[in-house]
Amino acid sequence: MMVFVIGGSASGKSAYAEQLAVSLAQRTQQKKYYLATMKIGDEESRQRAAHHRELRRGKGFITIEQPVAIHRSLETMVCGEKLALLECLSNLVANEMFSEENPKPEELVVQEILASISLLNQGLTHLVIVGNLVFADGILYPEPTRSYLRAMGRINQEIAAMADKAVEVVAGIPITVKP
Amino acid sequence: MDLILIIGGYAQGKLNYVCQNYHLQESAVWDGNLPEDRLPLGDTVIINHLHGWVRRRMAQGGCPEQEIHAILARYQYGFIICDEVGNGIVPTDAFEREYREQVGRLLIMLAERAMAVERVICGIGQRIR
Repeated sequence: MMVFVIGGSASGKSAYAEQLAVSLAQRTQQKKYYLATMKIGDEESRQRAAHHRELRRGKGFITIEQPVAIHRSLETMVCGEKLALLECLSNLVANEMFSEENPKPEELVVQEILASISLLNQGLTHLVIVGNLVFADGILYPEPTRSYLRAMGRINQEIAAMADKAVEVVAGIPITVKP
Repeated sequence: MDLILIIGGYAQGKLNYVCQNYHLQESAVWDGNLPEDRLPLGDTVIINHLHGWVRRRMAQGGCPEQEIHAILARYQYGFIICDEVGNGIVPTDAFEREYREQVGRLLIMLAERAMAVERVICGIGQRIR
């Protein structure tokens, strides 16, 4: 089963997604993997990652740092029934688009990420993906940022279409977008 | 006039959703960023990028909240697609602030008049009224 969880910043989407992952995995005693997409380059990101790791402690997640090519996380997983929580899509899209000197073309980013997520999904029993709603501030950003937003908007649409269920989290309350 | 209002964030697939869900032709689409002489013929209009039209008319010294009525009066069926633009930090620039105010007020007025209001997230419509 694939579930797409979306929401604004600090909407409670991560906590909801974790809870959902734990309850999905409980039914079959699966291994739970947490796919962390944040690139750890400086002290701030190190602290943030440590803080998130602390929050997940005791929930039984195995963390895999996978800032690009998300399907490659499968190589580190043991065989058998497994679940992955991918957090979050906005980091993944940014990493795929802006890792080289020049931004990678929008269309290529969209196709590569969708193919990669599709491969990941095939290797798992359950996949929970966390996405960000960052599209409604009305700001006319310069082109690299708009291109990033368009790519993420399209990826979100495709993932919602692919997923068995899509949920928007608002103030910690899950609202079903796709039942 | 029968009106349906569709709102949602940037790049959420709103136009595609409207055309597919209501079986409409792209030829009925008027891009709000284009001049008014490009309004489609026929009894149906799909106004896309309403927020873009508001911004443009404001910059030209117009009054979108009043002008919209004359545009809608030409048609029997209207679909209006608009970005939600108010979920960010309030801008320091006066024009940008006023733009968000006008888009917001216009959407409230159109929502009251509409038969249905839908909000599109990730390409999926939710009827919110």
